[in-house]
Amino acid sequence: MALKEKYNDRIQLHLSKYPDSRSAVMPLLYIAQEEYGYVNDQGVDEVAEILDLDPTQVRSIAGFYTMYSEKPKGKYWLQVCTDLACALNGADEFHKALKDYLGVEEGGTTEDGLFTVEHVMCLAACDKAPMLQCNFHFMEDLDMDKMKAWVEEKRAEYQAELDAK
Amino acid sequence: MNLIKGFATTFKHVLEEPVTLQYPEQMKPFAERFKGRHHLRRYDNGLEKCIGCALCAAACPADAIWVEAAENSDEQRFSPGERYAKTYEINMLRCIFCGYCEDACPTQAIELGHEHQMSFTDRRDAIYTKTMLIDPVPEGADGTPREVEPGVFTRAIPDMPDAK
Amino acid sequence: MAIPVKDDTKLVTVKIDDKEYQVPAGANLVDLAKWYADNDIPVFCYHPKLEPVGMCRMCLVELGSIMRDRETGDVVLDDNGEPTVRWFPKLQTACTQTASDGMVVRTNTEAVDETRENVLEFLLTSHPLDCPICDKGGECPLQNLTMEHGPQESRMIYSDKMHLQKHVPLGDLIFLDRERCIQCARCVRFQDELVGDAVLGFHERGRRLQIITSSDPGFDTYFSGNTTDICPVGALTTADFRFGARPWEMTEIPSISPWDAAGENISLSMRLDRDFGGRAMIKRVMPRQNEYVNELWISDKTRFGHHFTRSLDRLVEPMVSFGDKLTDQSWNDAYKAAVTALEGASGDVAAIAGGAISNEDLWELRQLVEGLGGSRLGAWPPTHGGADLVAEVGVGQDTNLKELGAGDAILVVASDLEEEVPIWRLRLKRAQDRGAYLVVANARPTRMEEFALDTQRNDKPVEGAAVRYAPGEAAAAISDLKSSNKDVYDRLADATNLVVVAGADGLDLDGNKALMQACANLLIETDHVGKANNGLMSPIPGPNGMGLHYLGYTPEVTQDIVANPPKVLIVAQAEPAEDDPTATEWLSKVDTVITLSLFPDRTTSYASIVLPIQSFAERDGTFVNGERRVQRFYTAQGPLGEAVPAWKILTTIREKLGQGRAKLSAAAVMLEITKNVDVFAEMRYKNLSQVTRQFPEIGGDDLYYGGTAYQNRGGLGIQIPSAADSGKVKAGKVASVKATKASKGELIALPITELYNRSNAFMPSGLVHARVAVPYVTLSSSDADDLGLVDGDLVEVSFEGGAVRVRATVGDVPAGVALLPQHLTDEPTPIVPTVVTLSKIAQPVLA
Repeated sequence: MALKEKYNDRIQLHLSKYPDSRSAVMPLLYIAQEEYGYVNDQGVDEVAEILDLDPTQVRSIAGFYTMYSEKPKGKYWLQVCTDLACALNGADEFHKALKDYLGVEEGGTTEDGLFTVEHVMCLAACDKAPMLQCNFHFMEDLDMDKMKAWVEEKRAEYQAELDAK
Repeated sequence: MNLIKGFATTFKHVLEEPVTLQYPEQMKPFAERFKGRHHLRRYDNGLEKCIGCALCAAACPADAIWVEAAENSDEQRFSPGERYAKTYEINMLRCIFCGYCEDACPTQAIELGHEHQMSFTDRRDAIYTKTMLIDPVPEGADGTPREVEPGVFTRAIPDMPDAK
Repeated sequence: MAIPVKDDTKLVTVKIDDKEYQVPAGANLVDLAKWYADNDIPVFCYHPKLEPVGMCRMCLVELGSIMRDRETGDVVLDDNGEPTVRWFPKLQTACTQTASDGMVVRTNTEAVDETRENVLEFLLTSHPLDCPICDKGGECPLQNLTMEHGPQESRMIYSDKMHLQKHVPLGDLIFLDRERCIQCARCVRFQDELVGDAVLGFHERGRRLQIITSSDPGFDTYFSGNTTDICPVGALTTADFRFGARPWEMTEIPSISPWDAAGENISLSMRLDRDFGGRAMIKRVMPRQNEYVNELWISDKTRFGHHFTRSLDRLVEPMVSFGDKLTDQSWNDAYKAAVTALEGASGDVAAIAGGAISNEDLWELRQLVEGLGGSRLGAWPPTHGGADLVAEVGVGQDTNLKELGAGDAILVVASDLEEEVPIWRLRLKRAQDRGAYLVVANARPTRMEEFALDTQRNDKPVEGAAVRYAPGEAAAAISDLKSSNKDVYDRLADATNLVVVAGADGLDLDGNKALMQACANLLIETDHVGKANNGLMSPIPGPNGMGLHYLGYTPEVTQDIVANPPKVLIVAQAEPAEDDPTATEWLSKVDTVITLSLFPDRTTSYASIVLPIQSFAERDGTFVNGERRVQRFYTAQGPLGEAVPAWKILTTIREKLGQGRAKLSAAAVMLEITKNVDVFAEMRYKNLSQVTRQFPEIGGDDLYYGGTAYQNRGGLGIQIPSAADSGKVKAGKVASVKATKASKGELIALPITELYNRSNAFMPSGLVHARVAVPYVTLSSSDADDLGLVDGDLVEVSFEGGAVRVRATVGDVPAGVALLPQHLTDEPTPIVPTVVTLSKIAQPVLA
């Protein structure tokens, strides 16, 4: 029961918010996603155990909401908004250029396991288009030059980490 | 006088071309749509077209067709889809060669050919089994059942009409 | 029976397609249009047994209400003097509407027709054209409604259809075809609402929406097969029937489930098969609607456990032993041997009959034994003793468990209903959903107890309580309920209706009899007898446990037979030596054992004469279920080998013994029973096959609820009145029970039931093998510590008459006892609480 031990305080806080424990399934899934990088079977089983639900019920919640990822993601999960306002500001081109630069398909992860790129619907930052969300933090007013610099910076960081090991 | 008249008629016909045929040495050409005995067809790659759906049996007004189906697997594949005819029998004594089975067939697996010379000395011989009805395997193709690569045949019914 | 109308239900006027109908207020619009107006509003997601959700939009109708003046309340009339109707601006889903006064519905307008066509076109955009090979093809609501309401041709490009996985196993028994699913959620809702095993769910959304199961094993429930019946397309199909036949090729034979006391009405779908010698065989088992018994549902054991009827292991020839070995004999010689043995017994003849034997067989057997001067008729297994009390204070006439609800109460004692009678568990859990107070009393945790302890289900509050008593103390727990659990007792006593289910889980015969008496007393004291929806039920093993009682077979006599073996013992469709480790000892004391058996087993090896009988599928007969309903089953398949129905064997022997002429049919035997046994007076075959119109109307030509086999053509059966129905009954004395005692180092093994087990009749159904539990023994953690055992250890459990090797599991059971499931091991295990010793054989095997 890794989750229950590691995040007991947060879990108890969420459980205390709702009259019926099953209502806490979504915040708990976020905790599971945070812990394992994505919503894996172990996370689902643990959440189900905590809330006394069938794993199937938890799994279908995780499946319905797109902000739960059921596939392993890279260290940086880049969600590019391509909804109307962003699209008018060149988000589609930016999205494509980013994928080409990283050499991944839609929803794919780079070979080094660093970056995952996918497109999402409106993130409510239309005035800062094109923009993306990296691990639930916004990066705004982007263009490919900025992006390339950022990517290379993260790659260098990662390389340094590897070297340090 | 009458006698001569009669012989004249006879002699006249001796010189004419006969209308009868020396059957079975000689055969009359068939109309293209003549409905003779059934054939179960194969695709060019040798797989069977029949999917064992038994719609022919349902359409048959004489209740002459008997079909039992089973499931294909990639180790034992008979037809491209999920299902094949494990048993396929036509009782030729019952069949009235109406061709409804051909109409009902969703994969054009059963077709009525031109063979009509069927005779039996035992009623049981009138039941044509699948091995008797099915076409020979096309040259160069494998027969059935056969082992195939997994993931090639994933459809319930092969896409028509050009499934390979 | 109509749409359930209580006495105080108001009738309202509803106008459907310009005709007025008087209907009960609050009735569902789809149901009442069908029931009263014969107007089939097409539906996909709606099902009369499930809560409406209005998801599929197929049932859209024009809806309005008659306008009334707000001040005067008078109907507002238009210029022509007709009432003015205020129409909803848009079409409304009929399935989510309930009847109210002045409701006006139109189902035949252009707008409605067009909508139906559009909904169907939408559903068919990516529906595959699999109909020729689909197991549902021919009985598919989507096919039918498309023919009736759908567009005449497709505007879609065939090659552009979405391709999804075709063959997704949901567990071992059910396959999902993702392309065919129309996302009506009937299966998901069935599992959530009705069964309470939420093991199906939707995953993702939009076109990618799919059904998943994450339970281990997949689709872990005893009711999974029912989802294939209610699926309105071929998305869910069973692995058992897969490609077995086309629906129109099969003949439906009405029958009764041969497994448990519920007596589920089933329909055997028969078709000739080359692999079965060109003879008719059971292709699938479908539920048959009987709203009193099983509604529309059957358990997976009933649905998938039919393979024993044509098992190659079955006995197909009579066998007689002249020296020391049984050899195949002709029927003539076998009869001769039986007659000689019976004549030589000089009256010392007794019989033991199992719970799966029909009333006709029981009658002929009784006549035979009594005709020879014997009198001892025993019921097997000798564990369930309360049949006489069920006959006395059993559930009243016209009881229907689906009518239990708010204000009512249910008490389940010493029974693991989930494993013993799954359909009762389903219906009683439903009653709790509707507001009934569920009390579960047992010495150990059961699935039913989990339900009793729930406080909320499907966002509605539910009520219940659990009582745990010390092992063996069931009777005392019920007798003392008033003092020890006043709250619970008051709730039971004050309930409008009270149903008590009492079994023998963890009890011996004396304990069970005392418990039954305690329960009967509780019912009598609180005046819950002799009325519909009130009274006692008991999960006596086998489909005809009550028939044994009514025809004079008792477990007490079995005990007597065990203690004083007769010269000749007839064992009729019972397997004592398979069930009971001590049976070998007393069976070997009998001079001549004659068995009427389906399978060669340990019991037949003690027999000198073994006569092969036919299974329920091969013959006619009747069973009496746990609610005392006499139900008839019909001949479906031809006999296997030379097997003969048990009644025919017995009547032939009687003729040869000079006891009168042999009867020619099961109906003739039943006729004789009706003349000689009072409670059966009305039970002629003709009466048993009567059917009345049932709500909801389902099956038949309008397939829109799915399934073609629902229609009941075999009869609803007739309930035998209880003694309380016709007169006063008095409470009896609860006998004190001597508990089994264990000394140090020993445990008391409580036999428990597993629905899926390794019994001779269930094993031939190979598909379900993966679901049969690995043999185990459950003990408390303190006992495990004392014995030095951990979860997964291989242990040897030794008891009087044998020993078995099983896996130890540590669980929530009282100290001093071990739960030892029956029929999981090859060797028999105790049928009553027995002193056992455990010794460790090996460490757990790590996977």
